Amino acid sequence: MNPIKTAILEQAKPSDLPRRPLVENDRSFHWITEKICGIVEDKTPLWWWVCFCVTGFIASFTGIGLAYLLFTGVGVWGLRGPVMWGWAIVNFVFWIGIGHAGTLISAILCLLKQEWRTSINRAAEAMTIFAVMCAGIFPLFHIGRIWFAWWLFPLPNANGIWPNFRSPLEWDVFAVSTYGTVSVLFWYMGMIPDLATLRDRATQKWRQFFYGLLAMGWRGSNRHWSNYEMAYLLLAGLSTPLVLSVHTIVSFDFAVAHLPGWHTTILPPYFVAGAIFSGFGMVLTLVLPLRAIYKLHDLITQYHIDCICKITLATGSMVGYAYMIEFFIAWYGANPYEGFAFINRAFGPYAWAYWIMISCNVISPQLFWFKKVRENPAFVFVVAIFVNIGMWFERFVIVVTSLANEFMPANWDYFTPTIVDIFTFIGTFGFFSLLFLLFLRFLPLMAFAEIKAVTPQANPHNNHH
Amino acid sequence: MKSNLEQTKIDSEAITGPRYWRSLDELVDEPEFRDFIEKEFPLGASELDGVNRRQFLKMMAASFGAAGLGMAGCRRPVQYILPYSKQPENVIPGVPVYYTTSHPSAKDNQPLLVETHQHRPSKIEGNPNHSPYGGATDIFSQASILDLYDPDRSTKSSQGPRSITQGRVYDLLQEIHDKFLSTEGQGLAFLAEQSTSPTRSRIVEQIKKTFPRSTWAEYEPINFDNPEIATRRLFGRPLRPQYNFRKAKRILSLDADFLNSEPGQLGNSRDFASARRVNSSQEAENMNRLYQVESNFSLTGAMADHRLRLSSGQIPAFTALLAIELLKQKSIDSSLSEELKKNATGLVTDAQWIEECVADLLANPGNTVVTAGSHQPVEVHELVFFINDLLGANGHTVNYLNLPNYSASTIQDLGVTLENGRIETLIIVGGNPAYNAPADLNWLERQKSVNEVIHYGYYFDETSIEATYHISATHYLESWSDGRTFDGTVVPVQPMIHPLFEGMQEIELLARLAGMEETEPYALVKETIANLTSETDKDKDFDRFLSDGVLKNSSFANIPVTVNQSRLKRTVARGNFRPAQVSSNQLEVRIIPSPRMWDGSYNNNGWLQECPEGMTKLTWDNAISISPRLAKDIGYDPEQNSFKQIASKNTATFKMGREVSPLGEITIGGTTVRGPIHIQPGLANYTVVIPLGYGRTKVGRIGKKTGFTAYPLVNTQSPGYVSGAKLNITDKTYLLANTQEHWSMEGRAIVREANVEDYSKHPDFVDKMGLEAHSPPVYGNDSDLSLQEKVVQQPRGASAYEIPQFGGDHQWGMSIDLNTCTACSACIVACQSENNIPIVGKDQVTRGREMHWLRFDRYYSSGDIDNHRREIPEDPQVTSQPVMCMHCETAPCEQVCPVNATVHDDEGLNVMSYNRCVGTRYCSNNCPYKVRRFNFFDWNKRDIGSFYKGPLGAGGMTELEKMQKNPDVSVRMRGVMEKCTYCQQRIQEAKINAKVKARDSGNIKVPDGTIKTACQQVCPTDSIVFGDISDPESKVSITKTIDRDYSVLGYLNTRPRTTYLARLRNPNPRMPDYKDMPLSRMEYENQFGHSDHGEENHEEGNNHDDHHNEAPDENHANGTHNT
Repeated sequence: MNPIKTAILEQAKPSDLPRRPLVENDRSFHWITEKICGIVEDKTPLWWWVCFCVTGFIASFTGIGLAYLLFTGVGVWGLRGPVMWGWAIVNFVFWIGIGHAGTLISAILCLLKQEWRTSINRAAEAMTIFAVMCAGIFPLFHIGRIWFAWWLFPLPNANGIWPNFRSPLEWDVFAVSTYGTVSVLFWYMGMIPDLATLRDRATQKWRQFFYGLLAMGWRGSNRHWSNYEMAYLLLAGLSTPLVLSVHTIVSFDFAVAHLPGWHTTILPPYFVAGAIFSGFGMVLTLVLPLRAIYKLHDLITQYHIDCICKITLATGSMVGYAYMIEFFIAWYGANPYEGFAFINRAFGPYAWAYWIMISCNVISPQLFWFKKVRENPAFVFVVAIFVNIGMWFERFVIVVTSLANEFMPANWDYFTPTIVDIFTFIGTFGFFSLLFLLFLRFLPLMAFAEIKAVTPQANPHNNHH
Repeated sequence: MKSNLEQTKIDSEAITGPRYWRSLDELVDEPEFRDFIEKEFPLGASELDGVNRRQFLKMMAASFGAAGLGMAGCRRPVQYILPYSKQPENVIPGVPVYYTTSHPSAKDNQPLLVETHQHRPSKIEGNPNHSPYGGATDIFSQASILDLYDPDRSTKSSQGPRSITQGRVYDLLQEIHDKFLSTEGQGLAFLAEQSTSPTRSRIVEQIKKTFPRSTWAEYEPINFDNPEIATRRLFGRPLRPQYNFRKAKRILSLDADFLNSEPGQLGNSRDFASARRVNSSQEAENMNRLYQVESNFSLTGAMADHRLRLSSGQIPAFTALLAIELLKQKSIDSSLSEELKKNATGLVTDAQWIEECVADLLANPGNTVVTAGSHQPVEVHELVFFINDLLGANGHTVNYLNLPNYSASTIQDLGVTLENGRIETLIIVGGNPAYNAPADLNWLERQKSVNEVIHYGYYFDETSIEATYHISATHYLESWSDGRTFDGTVVPVQPMIHPLFEGMQEIELLARLAGMEETEPYALVKETIANLTSETDKDKDFDRFLSDGVLKNSSFANIPVTVNQSRLKRTVARGNFRPAQVSSNQLEVRIIPSPRMWDGSYNNNGWLQECPEGMTKLTWDNAISISPRLAKDIGYDPEQNSFKQIASKNTATFKMGREVSPLGEITIGGTTVRGPIHIQPGLANYTVVIPLGYGRTKVGRIGKKTGFTAYPLVNTQSPGYVSGAKLNITDKTYLLANTQEHWSMEGRAIVREANVEDYSKHPDFVDKMGLEAHSPPVYGNDSDLSLQEKVVQQPRGASAYEIPQFGGDHQWGMSIDLNTCTACSACIVACQSENNIPIVGKDQVTRGREMHWLRFDRYYSSGDIDNHRREIPEDPQVTSQPVMCMHCETAPCEQVCPVNATVHDDEGLNVMSYNRCVGTRYCSNNCPYKVRRFNFFDWNKRDIGSFYKGPLGAGGMTELEKMQKNPDVSVRMRGVMEKCTYCQQRIQEAKINAKVKARDSGNIKVPDGTIKTACQQVCPTDSIVFGDISDPESKVSITKTIDRDYSVLGYLNTRPRTTYLARLRNPNPRMPDYKDMPLSRMEYENQFGHSDHGEENHEEGNNHDDHHNEAPDENHANGTHNT
């Protein structure tokens, strides 16, 4: 391959603080197209089939678990006495949290003109959508009479009964469904130019039809591009508040209730920070293997990893700060119930969960202060896994410990999950991975039309004109 | 048009409109109908085989009602029973009719009023016409209705494995009669349960006359005869001591659980509560004072102001010491003292305790009661009567009722007769001796040695299986009889429904055996009543008796007594008052009647099985309760919360919210029983307590595999307690279904308590407790408004939000007096019965899913919160609190329900519409009181144990069980939330009645007292008051103005409509164990204690931050009441 020579003379190079290029090794446009489209067009690799079967099998756990629940009752889960929300809500918040990174990357970073987002935004958005799908399962199935779940929607009816708009759960319905819809739109819209490329390259009939349909007649004209960019910007603007609102509203499920340990005003910002933290943890978890498998080191560079690590470090520290402030306020507020709730989290029967949370969420991301750590993909991957675990436990600590030991000591009890709880949750990872594998196989996993725009050769003057 | 005047056969195909049957026979003969029956009532259909149609109809009469035939299939019993103050012709479908009856028991038939819906009994209430019980019932009477609809009850008589017809049973009885008539009953023996029925005793006399050489024995495994035997010894005639707790200012109870398990407890509780009810701080001085000396921690002990833990075997010695002290303080009769001293040496106890207690008793002459538990030896009772005499109580607060002449042999006598082999036919009338006879009688062997054994019983049980014949008994709600309450008042036993199955009434059975001409129970009862009254118009008199439910002026006569000094001296000389020596190697076993299963006869009753025991909070099992001290002695480590021997097995009490108990073995003289160990504070150190009534081997589906039997430890000598036991811990464990894990109130102001003295000085103490004392007052500047203004205007107070105005004609509210509530738990079962609350089974209880709308929170307090956190206290005070939906005016549950399934009505009720509920359970999470219950499974559609099988599981409710349901309350399905409704259906009924009555006057207000919630109605202590709080004159409004009234967690601004009256304790300052505040209060002061600055908080709402800063640091250092 023949790298394009820069138009400026070597000696006239103005900057001595070079940024790392977003696409390394001077890869050409064609190389990029070949690389990304090749993933979709090449013969399905064996590992894909193996993973597909394994994740399909794991996903069936969720299916079986939910079918069992549907036929018997919510009692198949470990819910009990005071702990009326258990793993279902923990998992819901966990998955919704993960779903935050994608839209944050595509929307907020887009508005902030962070160009490094382009090589990871597509995968991250896919992750968002699949995570929201996993998340949606739980609040739906955790209710006692699933067949009446549609009552949560404000549908006009003869009885004139409306949902209760004062209930945070109702806000959840709107927040999550809006978020899901906008994320899908955003994701799909951003994909159109790439889909058109796939269509144009397709040789098989079904591909031509399939991608042709999805590309919606994209011809790459100036007019198309101009409309596209405007729409993309608008959607980015629309999604930005959603990123903040979804988890804020999810946090209202707790903050609006008056249980000690739930009823705190810090919850919304703390939840958003936690969500971004967990989302980026999950992005790392996905991107690092992707990069290794598809040899995408030139597109997902160390610079990208570095950026993600730094955001993880920042949000992780925010979360740690929130934990601290919660304790401080519990003491400062002098409400004995609240004071107890927090002391009980750290030293009560669920102390094990609390300390797992602290070590995974507060201590482990601090390693990202060190460049050595950030540059070691294996290390980064391990920390990312810790972040995922820690954030699940954070939700567990919030949901379960507050409920188990609240106002009246006579009600106190201990929550233990059942095998159905555990398998239903594990199954969602299978479901998530299954969807992600399908995404890898059939859709362009990177926004290569945009990547081309951030390659060094796309910007020959290096912003110095 | 051609008209056909001839009646033609109607072509059934051609009929499009509704079809009518000319008679039931026509319907029943149709094959489709028989198919329908087969499908619909498999249980009933099986009865079709081999039985003629007429009999089938008879049996299934009530089931037809449920099948939609309406009134046609429903029949009143053949004899005339009269409704309570209403005429039967006024029966309106959908409107319940109440009939009087009574629940038979050995010494006390509780007068009842049974709610029937189209002659299907659905709920049991107490009969308010019997004033000593005031319309209350105990938990057993409440639950007894479930037995009527028990699918496991015996449905027909049998001979071995074959069932026999009713006709055959009549023949059998005739044969026995004829056979023994010639021998004058030689070789014939009866073993019956004790009964209060005058008709039965009349027939028994007849039997004795007809068969003079037969043996008539009576046996009750839980026996209350000792006090009566003692009266015969001391006063020369059988009398029944009756205590007037209403008048008694000082009570000393020696191992007597007189509020709970002793007969007459309903009246006792009622009287005791009335002497404890305090309406203002001025009245507090008048409150009674209870000294309790006991080995077990009874509910009576929980009410005590001073409680001394002492093994039951040491109570006789204690009684002797008491008598000695009393004689000393009265300075009389030293010779008796000497004698007593000789016989009662060796008891180590606090002399000052006795001294001050006696001084206090003496300071209230004529206003004291000393009572001893019926399981205590006869000598103790004699001495107690003497003590009461010395205290001047006899004739004042202690009365002696004259018992009618009646005698029966004991089971021991019968045992001897059986051993001699002279018995050919043994007729067991009720009871279950094969299960519950004293172990030393070797009953089963002896029963088997008899040629022909006939067991008459309600269940096919352990005794039936070993008998030649089993004769199926009717339920008391299907039978005619009569009985007496504890004070002797004659009450009827009326059938509410025609026998559902082939059963025989006890009166009829005995009358047939006696060969009486009249065997119809109705006629026999009528005759008895006729003999008891002097009225001329016997029919009218009988009618009135039935409709009143009590026979006026029929109670036993009160006899003045004088203690026969020489007899007493003989008793003292002969009696052994020596204290039993107890230690960890030589334990005493106190065998108590189960507060739920009683002697085991309620073992198949799901309501009772699942109702948590008041103190241990155990359900579905009994346990070996041991004291914390004993637990430590045998290797319990409180830090690890496990027994050392088996620590490796990770066994502990309460691990992960479940009580996983080690199995223990109690061995006395070669007999061993095995059961789970439960560490129970408040027991005498070396007394272990085991409730009877569990471990049945032949029992229905509910009772199967529940608990273990303690009957092998029961012997004829001392049925209540035995000593010399050894406890051995095995390495096996057992899961107990305990509904309350945490025993400590954590120093929180949930239950508020004060001593009488403190209350007199600080009548507003409840307002100085809890976060309310620190947080801005809920009503802000409107705090001074009256209750009515607050309720009607709903001032916003300090809240940022507009508070909805309710604006209904009534505003419902409730008050619960924690000072009088004894935690008898009858309200739990009453609520369950009224509101169709399902049981969920042991497994689900261990998963914390019990459904009771009303629960009891029981807290132990030791006064030392820090130590308390580490280990369970040895000698705590206990406080129990009934908790149900508080009907908060600003209900947190309503705000969070996404589908508006729980909302407020305009009368302040927090209503739950099950149809709208989707089951997010958010409401329960946001309920600070956690009173909401969730249908995790289809509790009503599936059998216990089949919940996890879903549609594949065995289908739940049989037709029989469905008949029990209250038609006014919907049966909830899976996936919906439910909770206390303040008995909404009763409110609606009363409102409809008021509207009907009001007509054009517009006065649709329901008069105060018309509506009684189920829990209120059953409450023997009247601790629960319900009514309209917008009416300042209503009882509940007046109760709520008492200064002890407080809201639990009121600072949350939930504004609960149910409020509590704080509990008072009345300790004697001169007693050695005196504490100047209740222990729970001490813990509160330790934890959150504050000085007087709470007051300024009330005035200004803005200036709080300073206090908040200080609050956690302020502990008892500046508490005002620190000792």
